[in-house]
Amino acid sequence: MSLLRILLWILLAIPAALMVRALASGETLAMDLYHPTGELALRLMLLAMMIGPLLDIFRSNRFLRGWLAIRRNLGVAAFAYVALHLVIYVIDMRSLAAMLDEISLPSIWTGWLSFALMLAAASISNDWAIRRLGRTWKQIQQGAYAAFLLGAIHWWLLDRDPVPPLIHLAPLLVLWSLRWLFIRHRRKNLKEYAV
Amino acid sequence: MNFRVQAALTAVALLAGASLSQPALADGDVVCGSGPQAEWRSERDVRRRAFQEGWEILRIQIQGDCYEVYARNEMGQAIEAFFHPETLEKLVVFRRGREIYRREGFTG
Repeated sequence: MSLLRILLWILLAIPAALMVRALASGETLAMDLYHPTGELALRLMLLAMMIGPLLDIFRSNRFLRGWLAIRRNLGVAAFAYVALHLVIYVIDMRSLAAMLDEISLPSIWTGWLSFALMLAAASISNDWAIRRLGRTWKQIQQGAYAAFLLGAIHWWLLDRDPVPPLIHLAPLLVLWSLRWLFIRHRRKNLKEYAV
Repeated sequence: MNFRVQAALTAVALLAGASLSQPALADGDVVCGSGPQAEWRSERDVRRRAFQEGWEILRIQIQGDCYEVYARNEMGQAIEAFFHPETLEKLVVFRRGREIYRREGFTG
């Protein structure tokens, strides 16, 4: 592993370290960490998902290639924060019975389902699985998009406010729209050249 | 201006706009319709009031013009309850975002 990648992992781990320390020292309640862990997970997922359309829209450059090179790290880190989010939940709920009791609420099962999809994607985020799984690999990875959407819905239902989750979805929607416009524009140009 | 530049500028503008619009701090706003904070009952009174419900209180905070109580009810369910700061009336209770109690006639 290169030095840069080690530095990247240290950087990605810093928020988690601060959160765990605050929790261990009794400075914060477990319930106070729902937002920091969940929001950071969504933001990391967003970063991992934005690079695809960006590369389709813009000419490839060093910055975008560097971003692409760390996409897997961003995705795995997002899963790590989702897992931490779940650990916080277990600490906050204290009992399995209490967790099962509310699993049928839409605001809660959306979170569980999102976690399951992320777990599947993260567990095959390695070279060996890519070679082994072929086309299935990509399908499982694409589950992360559903996980992202479910995570946003989970947030919306819990806080009864759609605005913050929508703000997190917006960049991706914008980039996808731009990519669509761009590809359409390029096709039109190609047609004109052909005539 | 070519299309690529236009697209880039639009993307930057939209992303900047999205990041500037500061997300509201949790919770679809409940409006309790209370007066100035000088008239409010103390947090201790709210604690006593919530305790009378038989709840285990995790946190009491001011949310908009309400007292908001995070607690576990007698069934161990995680709840968020809103109390009128002057009358200490229980106005609305949510369980994981789902409304499980609303005082009759309360629309805030």
